[in-house]
Amino acid sequence: MCGKPLVVPEQASAASTSFAGDVPAGAPALEPGTPWERRVELGSWRAWRDTVVEALFEPGRLFQDARIDRGAAQARFAVVTVTVFWIAGQMLERFLLRPWTQRAVAGIAVRGQFGSVVQKLMQIESDNSPRTAALMALLTPVVVLVTLYVNAAVTHLFAVLLGQNKRGFAATFTACAYAFAPLVLFAIPGCGAPIAVVWAAILTGIGLKHTHRIGPGGAAATVIAPYVLVC
Amino acid sequence: MNWTTHAGPPSVHALGLAAAGTALLCAAAILPLDAPPLSLLACPFRSATGWPCLTCGCTHAFAAFVRLRPLTALEANPLGAALALLCAVHSVWTALRLFGLRLAPASFSATPRIRAAAAALLLANWAFVALHGPR
Repeated sequence: MCGKPLVVPEQASAASTSFAGDVPAGAPALEPGTPWERRVELGSWRAWRDTVVEALFEPGRLFQDARIDRGAAQARFAVVTVTVFWIAGQMLERFLLRPWTQRAVAGIAVRGQFGSVVQKLMQIESDNSPRTAALMALLTPVVVLVTLYVNAAVTHLFAVLLGQNKRGFAATFTACAYAFAPLVLFAIPGCGAPIAVVWAAILTGIGLKHTHRIGPGGAAATVIAPYVLVC
Repeated sequence: MNWTTHAGPPSVHALGLAAAGTALLCAAAILPLDAPPLSLLACPFRSATGWPCLTCGCTHAFAAFVRLRPLTALEANPLGAALALLCAVHSVWTALRLFGLRLAPASFSATPRIRAAAAALLLANWAFVALHGPR
């Protein structure tokens, strides 16, 4: 009516460097949400299953749909997913495959330079008491939650350093939380864990690209830099 | 420049980071450095090159920090000591916000100058660890 062009200012605080904040209050959520974020309408089981399948086979779609103001739900998804499959993998390894893995690990210990470390690991893992199993079941969700936040914090720090932080910590956290989906492979003893970790790192990069709306090069650098510099 | 801003209760991520920070400090206080699982941690960068990585010594820095030996923590790894201090401050501040404090740290924009300064500090930290840290 006044003849002046309509200018909508960017949310200044969205790209600012804060580790503590969710999305700024009042910021509109344009994304429809992942199946897990719509689990009230879909049902918990279907929502979880669809989210894991999308994360593994259609990650671009999952991260495009993800809402960065659903931090609590995303943390719950990561903790539940990893805890269940990690405990399942440990139980499987501990009670069914122990003699085979002990022979394999003993062979590595004899050949390799990490013999003493491997022997200590074998001593710890030989404890099959109910107390150890209960302790493992209690501590695993705590360890997963701490790992999730430490991973997100380190990734976000490098995103800030490399100038790739466009939408705040919540966006980095969303990418890191759904990138934990391949850790369902922890249930497979032996080769499951290394494959899962590499897959999770790749998913984190894809997630950062979509949640921060940055280029693939910047996303890849943000994910790879911590692995190179922070062992 | 204002270092704090008025805010409501802590966000989910503030609580999550405080929980993670508290867990790390508790683990550093409880777990002995010379027994598993901490004694099993080995730096692949150091194993491959003989040189420490950026965060080598952080476990010792956290352990010294929670035992109130700040100089030992700084000597082990200044970055680790700073991170331990950050964890403690953030955890206490978040707890205070849960009990009614309405102040939060102010956000700031990471300008290219700030990012360059941070990168230089990380480089200086690595040089310190490489020259003075345990070999």
